[in-house]
This record gives sequence, C-alpha cells and structure tokens, in this order.
Amino acid sequence: MSVSKRLFKIFGPIILAAILLLAVLLSPFSFGLNHVSKDTEEKAAVSLSANVLKGRQIKRQSLEDGYVPFFGSSEWSRFDPMHPSVLAEKYHRNYRPFLLGSRGTQSLTQYFVMQSVKKQITNKKAVFVISPQWFVPQGTRKDAFAYYYSPLQTTDWLQTEKNTEMDRYAAKRLLQMPSGSSDKTLADALARVAAGFRPTSAQMAYINYKARVLGSEDEFFSRFGIASKNLNTVNQQAQQLPSTYNYNKLDALAGKIGKAQTTSNSLEISNQFWKTQLKRNYKRLKGSQTHLNYTKSPEFADFQLVLNQFAQTHTDVLFIIPPINQRWSDYTGLSMDMIAKFDQKIRYQLTSQGFNNIVDLTQDGNQDYFMTDTIHLGWRGWLAVDQKVNPFLSKANTTKPKYKINDKFYSTKWQQLDPDELGSFETK
Amino acid sequence: MMSFDPYGNPTYFVLLFIALLPLMIGLLYGRRSHVYESIISFVFLLLTFGGVKWHTGIALICYLIYQITLVWLYSKYRQRPDSPNKGWVFVVSVILAIAPLAVVKITPAVSHGASSIIGFLGISYLTFKVVQTIMETRDGVIKEFHPVLFGQFLLFFPTISSGPIDRYRRFVKDYDSVPTREKYLGLVEKGVRYIFLGFFYKFILAYIFGTRMLPVVEHAALQAHGTVSWALLGVMYVYSMDLFFDFAGYSLFAVGVSYLMGVETPMNFNQPFKSKNIKDFWNRWHMTLSFWFRDFIYMRMVFFAMKHKIFKSRITTANVCYVINMLIMGFWHGETWYYIVYGLFHGFAMVINDAWLRYKKKHKEQIPSNKFTEYFAIFLTFNVVCFSFLIFSGFLDTLFFAPRP
Repeated sequence: MSVSKRLFKIFGPIILAAILLLAVLLSPFSFGLNHVSKDTEEKAAVSLSANVLKGRQIKRQSLEDGYVPFFGSSEWSRFDPMHPSVLAEKYHRNYRPFLLGSRGTQSLTQYFVMQSVKKQITNKKAVFVISPQWFVPQGTRKDAFAYYYSPLQTTDWLQTEKNTEMDRYAAKRLLQMPSGSSDKTLADALARVAAGFRPTSAQMAYINYKARVLGSEDEFFSRFGIASKNLNTVNQQAQQLPSTYNYNKLDALAGKIGKAQTTSNSLEISNQFWKTQLKRNYKRLKGSQTHLNYTKSPEFADFQLVLNQFAQTHTDVLFIIPPINQRWSDYTGLSMDMIAKFDQKIRYQLTSQGFNNIVDLTQDGNQDYFMTDTIHLGWRGWLAVDQKVNPFLSKANTTKPKYKINDKFYSTKWQQLDPDELGSFETK
Repeated sequence: MMSFDPYGNPTYFVLLFIALLPLMIGLLYGRRSHVYESIISFVFLLLTFGGVKWHTGIALICYLIYQITLVWLYSKYRQRPDSPNKGWVFVVSVILAIAPLAVVKITPAVSHGASSIIGFLGISYLTFKVVQTIMETRDGVIKEFHPVLFGQFLLFFPTISSGPIDRYRRFVKDYDSVPTREKYLGLVEKGVRYIFLGFFYKFILAYIFGTRMLPVVEHAALQAHGTVSWALLGVMYVYSMDLFFDFAGYSLFAVGVSYLMGVETPMNFNQPFKSKNIKDFWNRWHMTLSFWFRDFIYMRMVFFAMKHKIFKSRITTANVCYVINMLIMGFWHGETWYYIVYGLFHGFAMVINDAWLRYKKKHKEQIPSNKFTEYFAIFLTFNVVCFSFLIFSGFLDTLFFAPRP
C-alpha cells in the first residue's frame, strides 16, 4: 500500500468526521431535529431539570404550545395534590404551567432564562414566585448561579443587548460570577458591555459562532434524559382529587392530607422533610435565625432585571410572595417585623413601576397546613395560590399592562435602602 | 495566559495535533529534530504549568535541577572505573531522590490538607523515573549518563502528569533513533486508534459513570438508613468503572501521542476486569506502576531477604514482601487511612491468592477446572477488586466519619 493511501486510511475517517460535525453544528438547518414531541413537553414542564432550564428549544416550543412560564425556585418541587401543575392537569384548565426554577435559582438566573424565550413571553402572561429568602445580604450564591449558568442564554442575550442600563447592570453582575469569566472572549465582550460599549466586531463574530454551535447542541441533545419521575408524581397526585372542582371541599381535603402527613412533629412540617432535613439539626436551629435580614441585598437590583425584562416584552405577570411557616419562624426567632419591612420594600419596587398583580401571602404563615415545610407552600397554601392564578390565566386580557421602569432600582442605594426610609427614596 | 490540564478539552487536542504535524512529517521522511521536540515540549509544559499555576512551574524547574544533579553525581561516583559501589551511597541517593515526594505527600496529612509549595502535577511519576535510573545505575545496566537526555526523559510531555512510567534505557533507544517509514506508519495507525479509544473511554464512558451516575449513587448512599446499603454497592461498581475508564482513557492518550512522536511508551492497562486472580489483575492494571513496584521494590526486598536469610521459608519471604510492597504503594497514594488500608488489603489478597494457587496445584485432581470455574474466578476477582476501589475512593471516609447535614 502506498504511503498516501495508508495515511488516508488512518486519517480519512477523522477528517470526514470533523467535516460532518462542523457541517451539522454550523449549518443553519436543523434537519428536522428541532421538533419537540408533546410527551417531551409534558415531561419537561414539570421535570425541574437544570438542563431544561439552561436549554432553549424545549422551552420555546412548549410556551408556543400554550404552556405558561411559572418562574420561581424550590417551591415547585413540592408536588402535592394542590400543586398548580396537578390542579391544571386534573381540572383541564386552558393553561398548563411550565415550571422554571428549582433550589438555588434566583432573579439573576431567571433573567438569563428569560433571554432564551423573549419572543415567547412577549405580550403573554407569566407567574413569578418571589422568595424572601433570596434577599440575603450577599445576594445570589456564586456556586448556585454557576450550576444553572447557560452559555447559550448568555450568547442569546449578547446578540440582542441594546446597551441599556439593564444590559450594563446584567453584564456587570455576570462578570462578578466565576461563570461569566469562564470564557475569555465572552468575558472581554461583557467587560465592554458593562462599560457602555458594543462588543467589537471580532467579539461579535465569536458570539455568533458560539450561539450557532450551542444552539445546535441544544437542538440535538436537550430532549434526552428528561426524567418522567415528576410527571408520574403529578398524575398520581391528581388521582387523589375529586372529579369536580369545589373550593370548600378541596380546602377541607388539603387540610386533611396535610394533617395526615405532618404527624411526626409539632411544627406542621411534612414528615418526609422532617425526617430527611430537619430532625438531625432541629435542636441546634432553635433561635438560630434572629439575625437574618432580607431588607438589604443586591438581589433587589437583580430582581429589577427581571422586572425590566417583563416590561420590555410587555408580559402580564402575577407575582406571588409566599409566607414562612409561623410555627417554624417562632422557633427559629426569625423576625416577622423584618419580613413585613421586606414586603414593604419589594411591593414598593413592584407597584411604583406598575406591577400591580401581587398575591401577597406573607401574613398567612399561621394558617394550618398552608406550608408543606419551613418556607415552602403546600396543600392549603397551593390552593390559595390557585384562587388567584386560575382566574388570572384563564380569563383573557382586558387591559394591557402599563409599566414604567425606573433605573434607580439598579443603584446600590436602593439595594441597601432601609425600608423605613422608603419615603426619602427619589424615583425621579 | 492559557492554562490546561493535559488532555482536558478539545482545544488541547487541536493544539497538540497542530504542534505534532511538522514532527510527524519529519518522522515520515526519516528525520527527527530534538530541537523541535524540545520546543513543543516546552510549550505544552508551559500550558500545563504556566498561567495561574506558574508557581508549580517554578517547583518543577527546581525539582529538575535537584534530581538531574543528584543522578549525575551518583553516576559520576558509580561510573568511575574504581568505583567502590558502597551500599550507603546508594541508599542515601535513593532517599534524597524520594525526599521531595515524601514532603509533598506528608504535608497535607500534617497541615490540615494544605498542599506543599514544592509540589506539582506529576511529581510522583518523575520520582519513579529518577529512582529507577539510580537503581539501574547501581546495577551497572545504565553505563552512560547524559544529563540532557535524562532531562528529556523526565520531561517527555505526553506522559509527564500521570505516566505511563517508561524506563530510561527503553526511552533513549526510541528517542535517539528514527523508525523506518513502514514501522512509523504502523505506530501512527495504532496511536490514532488509541487516542480515539481514549476519547470513548474518558469523554463518554468516564463521563457517564463519573459525572452522571456517581453523584446520584453517592447521594443515595448518604441518604440511606444505616451505613451499608444497596446504594453503597452501586457506589462501589460505578466508582470502579469511572476510575478505570478515566485513567485508562488518559493512559491511551499518553501512549497514543507518544506513538505519534515515534516513542513506544509502554501500555498501562490490559483488560484488567478479565483477570482470573489478583496477581493476574496486577499484571493488567496500571501495569507500568505495578511492574515498577515489582522490579524496584518487591524483587529487591526478596533478594535482600534471601541474601541475609531473614526468613527460613521462601513462602514467608514472598508473603512478607507482598504486604510491605503493597503497603508502600498505599502510602505512596497518600497518607490517609483508606489508601493504607487499600494497600494492606491488596497485600493480603496477594498472600491468600498465592496460598490458594499452591493448594490448587497440590490437589489438582480434586478441584474442578472448567469454563464455569473460570468465569467464577473472574467474577470473584472483579468483586474483590471493586471492593478495594471502594476503600480507595475515600467514600467510606465520608460515609463513616464526615458530619452529615
């Protein structure tokens, strides 16, 4: 065999593979692989998987097919019979929640999640659960942000950013995270955006190339490995519900289930949570939260990103502020005064900019079986949420929301503002 | 500046291929340029030890100067025509060669896990090469010492971080010659195959076992009631698979790249999970390390014990040496209880294995030997090995002793 023939035998397959790979990853065609089946959508909507959150194609198609984005965090994983996904399924609502978020997702992550579905949320509705626990002094945890960080969403955002205050702030925040500087070229582009410049044309070419490759990867692989565990749970829980919807009956049922599942402790915390998370540490947690403060945090500015994005896409949003299990907060010494002040501050940020659809449950922590554990909604709490969510989503829009975004909410002054001084905060 | 873990990502491989291309064309046309080889070695070492890890680069340079001087001095001493070849000179030289590694290994144990400033990626493997060269110089099989060639042997970049552990004489023979075109094409063919098999092992199988499955079973084992659970069995098998495919994949890269450079670095793994007994396993698992321990620790201990008639029986000599040999290997992995138990476990496994083989030989007629017993032997060996890896993984340490949330 001649040398060139032999070399071709060795390297031919590699060269061919490389060409095919580049052709597939860089081509603008999707080879019909971008179709997401209804089964996949159904699984993905309740999977809470990080891959779905970080991806694009599945979310886009699901939202186009009538799913409504439910932004939030760890509460979504509490699938009891009154969970929004279970109720929507059982009572054949004209909407289905697409749950976005799990433990550790906060405003900054959600802002980037929105970047991948901007078109799909434009002039549509959404639900957003604001956890007071996000608003700790150090803001979102870097490792949690890294876990949910999606380079695809970052390139999606960089391709459309207009160098507004929102974009500059987002770039600045991203650069403060290890994820933001993991790619040198992207980090340089972010630094330019944060400083008020457009990325250079070379950076833009790189961003476009990255976006193409990551987008193709997303189309090929994101549908695989979505667990159907949560979907099965949803279907099982739905079987516990009566076939017709009656609020009073459901409320009684929710209380009954809650009572049956909280037999191991006096805090009305679900047996499972008690056993796996709390029992061991219970003693040492007494009085441990007296110093917690949710009123001063960079999270307030991160949250402004979310509001700004909703305003830009004219999304009609229902905000939910969940309470804290009062038996628990009494035990740990968490200050209800502080929670009330937090509530005052966040409501100011919402209402002063025209976000008036707020379900404020912060006063309901003392209701029986309202919370499934310490800080997560459950049974009767979910049902209370449903009382607001269902009419909001089931009825057609009558008036368009009118939002007036104020960039002052990005300022350090706002992040650190004492809620007692709200009166002195100049929004002009 | 860019900084890479060797064979860590696609960019590394692309850069590697670009750098190797001129060298490969040269070899194809019967030329080898040590200058070019040194330049790309330097560049890739800079990528591994430079950038944010620059202080490990400094440690590497100091280490090199120290060891080359040491081996050079010992060679000078040993290769004098009238060399007295004193035992104590040899012992002191070996101790001096091992000293930096010992410091690096002991530091975390005595200073709460902090790593030593003289450490760098691959110090163990360089130490093996140095000790082996000193020993062979003492034996007189290495007759000439070239500081530059020796430096190139130590710094051969495809194998610097984790082996395979080559031998000086074998390396120099390849490195100082040019293979025929026919032979080189064969090497390239094999090398490319090894690299691609390595991709499959490291980036697909090790990813599935290590990144996807291991956290799940570990979590389940930690959540389970009591310490022993089915999930723990899962941890044992999944960790074993991850360990093998990760390390075997890496070794395939190192061997494959060596082949492209016309150097036949020895293989490290030979289907170890097909082993019929523990001895067979160590002839198939991390071979260059186990052969190194066999040649430079075990055999030497056996000879020493026999020469000085320390034990009466040959069997006792072999057994004691097995246990000490494996114990040293345990200590080499690190100064934690689980590495040491791992070493002892394998030492005693070797002793039991030998006893069984002797028993089997004596009772050939009574003990059946057929396809079934063969499969049973493979099954048993596999499980014994996986159990030893569970010890090695350190997961038991977390499971037994770490405070749980």
